[in-house]
Amino acid sequence: MAQVLATTLVVASLYALLAAGYVLVYRASRVLNLAQGDMLTLGGYLLFAVAANVGGGPVLAIPVAAALAALTGFLIYLVLMRPMAGHPVFAAVLVTVTLGILLRAAIVLVFTDQIRHPAQLLGLGNPPRRLPGGAVVSTFDVLTVLTAAALFAGLFLFLRLSPLGIQMRAAGERALLASQRGIDFHRLFALAWALAALSGALAGILYSSNVRLEPSLDVLGLKAFAVALVGGLDSLGGVIPAAILVALIEVLTVRYGNPLLSDVSPFLCLLAMLLVRPWGLFGTREELERV
Amino acid sequence: MRRIRLGTLAVVLVTLAVPLSSSGQDAYRIGMSAAITGRAATGYAPTYEAYKAYFKRINDAGGINGRKVEIDYEDDRGEPQRAAAAAKKLAESSVLIVNASISATYKPLMTETEAAKVPLLFGGGVCPREAFPPANPLIFCSTSFGSKWDIIYALDFMKAQAGGRKARLGLVAQDIPLARIELENAEKLSKEMGFDTIPLVIVPSAAADYTPFAQKLKDDGAEWVFAWSPWPVEIGVFEALNRLGWKGSYLLYGHQPTQDELARLKTPNLYAFGGNSLFTENLPVHQEITSVVKGQTQHPAHYMAEGWVSAMVLEAALRKCGWPCTREKLAQAMAGVSVDTKGLRGGPIEWTADNHYRKSTWYKVYHWDAGRNAIAAVGGWTKLDIK
Repeated sequence: MAQVLATTLVVASLYALLAAGYVLVYRASRVLNLAQGDMLTLGGYLLFAVAANVGGGPVLAIPVAAALAALTGFLIYLVLMRPMAGHPVFAAVLVTVTLGILLRAAIVLVFTDQIRHPAQLLGLGNPPRRLPGGAVVSTFDVLTVLTAAALFAGLFLFLRLSPLGIQMRAAGERALLASQRGIDFHRLFALAWALAALSGALAGILYSSNVRLEPSLDVLGLKAFAVALVGGLDSLGGVIPAAILVALIEVLTVRYGNPLLSDVSPFLCLLAMLLVRPWGLFGTREELERV
Repeated sequence: MRRIRLGTLAVVLVTLAVPLSSSGQDAYRIGMSAAITGRAATGYAPTYEAYKAYFKRINDAGGINGRKVEIDYEDDRGEPQRAAAAAKKLAESSVLIVNASISATYKPLMTETEAAKVPLLFGGGVCPREAFPPANPLIFCSTSFGSKWDIIYALDFMKAQAGGRKARLGLVAQDIPLARIELENAEKLSKEMGFDTIPLVIVPSAAADYTPFAQKLKDDGAEWVFAWSPWPVEIGVFEALNRLGWKGSYLLYGHQPTQDELARLKTPNLYAFGGNSLFTENLPVHQEITSVVKGQTQHPAHYMAEGWVSAMVLEAALRKCGWPCTREKLAQAMAGVSVDTKGLRGGPIEWTADNHYRKSTWYKVYHWDAGRNAIAAVGGWTKLDIK
């Protein structure tokens, strides 16, 4: 059982990192960013590119890759999403779908489809860690959990305490009032996109160091999308219990049920949630009407 | 004036069209439907690259029987509907279509080529049963892996390694049709061979973490685990087992990344078997491939082995077909082809009228030899007669 819980925590942390990106962008701009899974892939390849071309070891490569991912998110908003202001939301969503396709194609063109291991390039090992109760996880599993915890703590502090974070919440909750108070929406949206890209890229940096890097990792984004919807698309706090719930059901399905069903279990959770509480665990009812 | 302009345009178009069509008629026209991009590209794009490099060299040296080999490449992205469209297009002008894609593309491709009576060569994806005896007259396969025979060899190898003891065996398949069907067959066959086999573990392609699957195998007491699937699942489950401190032995089919991954993991209990020799053996043919593909491919030279063998077989078939070479003549030529693979495989590829897989197939197993700190073969080639 200890192993089931440890694996659940690791998988939940990965999903939470990815799902945070969906929620941040949706809260701020009401846009579903369907390219969030590609941010994971991009993060892994940025790490690989920095490690291969710049060197400097993990101390330099990881922060540089994360910063480049955040910059990419910022530029995506500036170049693609800002011109969509005033257009129907579904048009902006379609732009994110196209963005994902373009990112995947660009990654194959630049890096090929070969499986890579950026951690090896950085000289990093991934030894197993024995936990109380006999569970075993990898070093990058531990780092994934710690990173998710740090990111969520940082985001909560930022949104609660910093002026920019409070403005971001205000813009998400009462857009009209916020605009009347002179809040610069574009700055906040750009920040939301940068943070979403950063959270996705962190998931990618950790996953590619832990497992492998290949162009098709974006599929993990679909499961995280289910997590975001189960938690409530406008609730960052909802992501954590939703990620734990979805991951636990997935792991238990493999362990005690039919492993084949594990692939669809996040979507079964989502379906159940939509039937019982369509706005998610911690989402607001009002949001459903807007969607 | 307008009439003169149109006349001039027509003359220009005819002038342009004549050399194009005559060059097509003077050359061997081959079509290839391959997963050059898309999720499946990892295993198949290298075959496309190997073909390009191989036939560039052939054409630069004057072609075959004095004719160039022109290959039209279509990227099916591993998607059945794209493969069907590609086959339809390629069948119009090709004497042969080569497939280097996932098994999901096989059915539509076979349907289209059957209708157009075009020979179909599987040159990168797993060999379909239609190439095994009694073979479909138009379907051929040069790929090193062929489900049914791989499984027979793998079970024999593990039985021998277990020293006749009734070993507890775990089986791993990715959730794709061919892998599932074949490992379900392996489940039955292994029990008949005296293994204590635990139920097959099927891994979805989008698994975020392989640990729960590995834990299931470990808790069920597997001493040997056999995986026959695309590489990420094969190696992903092994790494998770290794992390959990599992002490058993793991056998997987050695796809292109094998030699990189054996060297990365350095774990002696990981065995990779396959039909192609690893480039770590540094045979003259390996050196030849490395030198030919240098600067022409995006993948390492050792990824080219599968496509290279297929191109060798096609070259031999075209030489035998002579000129002019029709589809019927080419299918007849292929049904009697014999190709020396120069050490890339354990022996020649020989096709007969009713066996389009090969008369005999050879396997070799590699693992990490901790004593020598290098990849080493576990014995030599093992021959399996195909009947």
